[in-house]
Amino acid sequence: MSEFDVIVVGAGPAGSSAAIRLASKKMNVLLVEKSDPPGTKNVSGGVLWGHELDNIIPDWEKTAPVERYIRSKTVGFLTEDSSINIDFRSRKFDENKSGYTVLRVKLDQWLAKKASESGAMLVNGVTVDRLAMKDGKVIGVEQDGDTITADTVILAEGANPRVAIQSGIREPLKDHDVAIGVKEVIKLPEEKINERFNLRGKEGFAGEYVLGFLKGGVEAGGFLYTNKDSISLGAVIFMEHLRSNGNTHSFDIIEQFNSHPSIAPLIEGGKIDEYSAHMVQEGGYGSIPKLFGDGYMIAGDAAGFSFSNGLVLQGMNYAIQSGITAADTFMELKEKGNYSDSALSLYQEKLQKTFVMQDMENFKGIENVTWGNLIHQHLPGILESVMLEIFMENGTPKRHMYKILMDAMKKEKISSSKMISESFKMIRRL
Amino acid sequence: MKIEDRLSLLNYKTDKSFAHITVDHNICETCPDNFCTYACPAKCYTLIEGKLNFKYEDCVECGTCVVACSHGSVSWNNVKGAHGVKYKYG
Repeated sequence: MSEFDVIVVGAGPAGSSAAIRLASKKMNVLLVEKSDPPGTKNVSGGVLWGHELDNIIPDWEKTAPVERYIRSKTVGFLTEDSSINIDFRSRKFDENKSGYTVLRVKLDQWLAKKASESGAMLVNGVTVDRLAMKDGKVIGVEQDGDTITADTVILAEGANPRVAIQSGIREPLKDHDVAIGVKEVIKLPEEKINERFNLRGKEGFAGEYVLGFLKGGVEAGGFLYTNKDSISLGAVIFMEHLRSNGNTHSFDIIEQFNSHPSIAPLIEGGKIDEYSAHMVQEGGYGSIPKLFGDGYMIAGDAAGFSFSNGLVLQGMNYAIQSGITAADTFMELKEKGNYSDSALSLYQEKLQKTFVMQDMENFKGIENVTWGNLIHQHLPGILESVMLEIFMENGTPKRHMYKILMDAMKKEKISSSKMISESFKMIRRL
Repeated sequence: MKIEDRLSLLNYKTDKSFAHITVDHNICETCPDNFCTYACPAKCYTLIEGKLNFKYEDCVECGTCVVACSHGSVSWNNVKGAHGVKYKYG
C-alpha cells in the first residue's frame, strides 16, 4: 500500500496543475518543491498563454497574479544601427485575451497555493534526490535516505531535470536540446511604460527580436515584455551557437541588447532590480525523452515541451496541459490500479490528442529554422540594406526593388537560389 | 551593468556545508576550450593565471555548465534545504 496516490516533483506550472487536478478529484497527492516559497528558483520571459488553466481554475483570469495582457506585439530584426519591426496591435485582444505577462515567483506561488487549497499536501524546501525503485519499477521518491511511496510519480522538475537524469530515466541534456536564457527585470513607473509603449491601463507589450548585431557574430534572440511597473528584458542563446562561436560570454549578450539604439530609450531611467538565468528547452520534438515508464510520467519542461518559432515563445501552456493530462491519465487508470509501463502509455496517447504533442510533432525541426543562418545571419542585414536605400534620399536616381534586393543579398553573401530555397524551407516549417 | 553588479542584486541562502556542483580539476587542467567560462551566466567559472577557478556561491542553478562541459568534469546536484538562489521576480 503506497502512502500517496501520486507524488508530484516540482511546484511549477506543470506540477501544480497536475496536483490541482488530482486533489480536486479527491486523490491523495504530495507536491514536493525544492524552493521555499515555491517559484523562487523559477524564471520565464514570460508570457503566459493560460487558456488551459480554464480547466482547473475557471476564474484564473480574474484572480491570477498576471501583470498585463498582450495588446501590442512586435517581431523585430536588429542590426547595429537599425531595427526593422513588424508591429501588430489589435483591439480584438481586449475581449479575447491571447497572453499575459507574468513574473514567475508570484505566479508559481499562487498556483502552488491553489494546489494546497485543493487538498494536495504541499511541502516546500525539500529536495528529492532520486526516484525510489524496486524491481525496476518506480515506487516513490528518495529524500535524505528516506523513501516516500506513491502509486505513481509525476516528474515536473523543470528545464534542468536532475532527478530524471540521476534516476537513469532520461539522457543528460546535450547542446542541441537547450538554450541559455538570461534576463533582467527593470523597474520603471507604470505611467512611463504606458507612455513609451503606447499603452493604457492593463494593456501590455511583447517584443521578440533577432539580435543580428552581436559582437563576434554570436546568434541570439531577444525579448522585451512590459509588466505593470517593470520591464522584463532578456536574451536566449542556443548552446550550439555559443559553443561554435567560442569567444562570447553569455552574460555579456544582455548588455549589448539593452544598449541597442532602438531598445535603450525604452528602458532609459529604469533601474535593474533583478538579474536571472535559466535554461530554455529549445530542441523541439527530437529532445523529448520517453515520457512514461513503470510508475512514472514526465511533464512540462522536464519533458522538453516548449515551442519557439521566432514569433512566439511558449512553454508554460505546454506545462499546464501536460500536467493536467498526466493527472487525468492517473485517474483513468486508478480503477484497475495498474500503473505499469504499458498502462501509462495512455499518457502519451492522451497527449497526442492535445496541442502539446501535436505542436511538437507538426513543427519537428523548427529549432533549425528558429536558429538557422537565414534568420540570424542574413535577414537582418538584407532588410536593413533594402530599407536604407528605399528611405534615404541622396540625390541619386531610384532603383527597382528587385535590383536593391539582389545587391543586398550579394552584400550579405547569400545567392538568390540559396535565399529562395532557405526561405521556402522556413515557410514550410513555420 | 557589469555581471558582478548584476549578481550583487541577488539573494542567496548559501549552503556552507554542501557544494551542489563540483568540478574535477584534473580534467579541467587539460581542457582545450574552457567553454564553461563563456557559458555560465553567473560567472562562476573563471580562469586565474590559466587555471580554472570555480565558486558555487554565485550559482543561479540553471544547469548550463553541466551541458556546456563536454569533458565530464562537472557534477551537478540540486541544492538541499531551500538553499541557493532566491529570486523575487523570476
